[in-house]
Amino acid sequence: MSTGPDSVATEHRQAASLPDVDFSAAEFDALLNAAVDGIIVTDRDGHILRMNSAAETMFGLAAADVAGQSIEIIMNTSDARAHDRYMDNYMRTGERKIIGIGREVVARHSDGREFPVDLAIGEARVKNELRFVGLIRDLTEQKLAEEEALRQREQMNHVSRLTTMGEMAAAMAHELNQPLSAISNYTAACTRLLDQGDENRRDVDMALEQISVQAYRAAEIIQRMRDFARSRESGRRPVEIRDLILAVLPLARMDARANHVDLRIRLEKDLPTINADEIQIQQVLLNLVRNGIDAMKDMDEKSRRLDLRVWMEDATHIWIGVTDRGHGVSEQAAEKLFAPFFTTKDSGMGLGLAISRSIATAHGGKLSYFNNPVVGATFFLILPTKAD
Amino acid sequence: MAQATVFVIDDDQAVRDSLGMLLRSMKIDSQLFASAQEFLDAYDAEWNGCIVLDIRMPGMSGMELHRHLVDQQLSMPVIFVTGHGDVPMAVEAMHNGAFDFIQKPYRDQDLLDRINQAMSWDEAHRSEEDRKRSLQECYETLTPREREVMECVVRGLANKVIAMDLDLSQRTVEIHRARVMEKMCARSLAELVRMSMLMQQTD
Repeated sequence: MSTGPDSVATEHRQAASLPDVDFSAAEFDALLNAAVDGIIVTDRDGHILRMNSAAETMFGLAAADVAGQSIEIIMNTSDARAHDRYMDNYMRTGERKIIGIGREVVARHSDGREFPVDLAIGEARVKNELRFVGLIRDLTEQKLAEEEALRQREQMNHVSRLTTMGEMAAAMAHELNQPLSAISNYTAACTRLLDQGDENRRDVDMALEQISVQAYRAAEIIQRMRDFARSRESGRRPVEIRDLILAVLPLARMDARANHVDLRIRLEKDLPTINADEIQIQQVLLNLVRNGIDAMKDMDEKSRRLDLRVWMEDATHIWIGVTDRGHGVSEQAAEKLFAPFFTTKDSGMGLGLAISRSIATAHGGKLSYFNNPVVGATFFLILPTKAD
Repeated sequence: MAQATVFVIDDDQAVRDSLGMLLRSMKIDSQLFASAQEFLDAYDAEWNGCIVLDIRMPGMSGMELHRHLVDQQLSMPVIFVTGHGDVPMAVEAMHNGAFDFIQKPYRDQDLLDRINQAMSWDEAHRSEEDRKRSLQECYETLTPREREVMECVVRGLANKVIAMDLDLSQRTVEIHRARVMEKMCARSLAELVRMSMLMQQTD
């Protein structure tokens, strides 16, 4: 249904089926100036014919000064070029890329400052001359609010990760003590062996090699913690879901070991790449694992088992399930489980699940749970393989 | 009697192997086990020395193994190796009769001192146990009447009194008394008294 400019104008006239009212030019100007949004009228070549007072304020221009000038004076350079292309294209083919459709563009104030606006262009025919009418809304405040909200969310995620690391401090200390104890033992052995003469050379070599292996092991534990706890720009990138999970597993295992939980992992063989914020998804995973471990705190040590499974439920959805063998989610807890500041634990702020769910939602996914038939609960994160 | 050995039980291979090497450098025999179960499966009543036990392990924990050993009256001394924050557990272990505990990370000399103490305690304890066992064996050769006489003798009663108490002739008491000294290999009354006290001692 490609139509040229002429037929579009006809459609518009038909749509406006109000009784005819004649406006005087003064009345018309008063109406234009009453509009909250900026309104700019141009001729078919983009020369400014009219500009209401909202537009004057927005761009720091006086209508009288800019009459006849190109509309490009209020656009930034790249947008102006694109605008030229759109308009050219439209004039030639009638294909709408901007006419009648709102578009977010960067506008330029007369002082050179650039700011985001929503621009919608309509067209009209006045005495057989083609006119374009631009409706412009300043998005600066809205953008700032959105950026602020995003920044606050990211900050809260970061605080939550730091809290998690804080709560895992004991487990980490234990985990670091292992390689450090081994290094200390090997070093002491080396000292003694060297005192005893050359016949122990082979043992000393072996101990030195082990010392280096254990030092690397300790460094890696620290690196995992830093990766997880660091503050950084959030952003989605294509990530291998398998790599993402394997990277956070050492932290999960650490917590499981410290709490005498048997953690079992099952990853389906062919897991896809998804577009995700890696660290946020890891944050959700670790949170679910830690909740599961916590749910079994007062169970007998032999029955503390946590299963982490990852599989493709269908062609477009990855499921990450964490199954514990605790008491399950009680009816009272179920109501408020995902609400911020709700917690059943002695320590913790009750933000984990609330934040995890918001991360899941932001990825176009879902975070939920069910109580298992016999014992415990299963929490699961569903992620679409093709996020919008 | 088998050679005194340190039995190291720790699920972390690096910690286990490094401790094995440290002990080897001290010329102390050691045997390494990755789990409590592995140790129990291999256990031999002839073993002596001491046990160095990680308090946290998957499967049967160090605490559980210790309780099991105490229940089975296996008397080898146990030194617990604990991590940060395990002190309450270590205290409980001490209540349950652990020999000692040491917190990771430790200085090698501290651990070796404890191991040496545990080994000497085990040796002393074992020789006392051996002595008790041989006394018990001698005692078992006494007739019921001889045991009665021995009991009176160690209480310090004179032959005349014993004869009256047991309704025997004084001559008969003298014969029984001589047999008791002979069978128990006691060279004096004082030694017989000590033997009797040792036999009545429980751990």
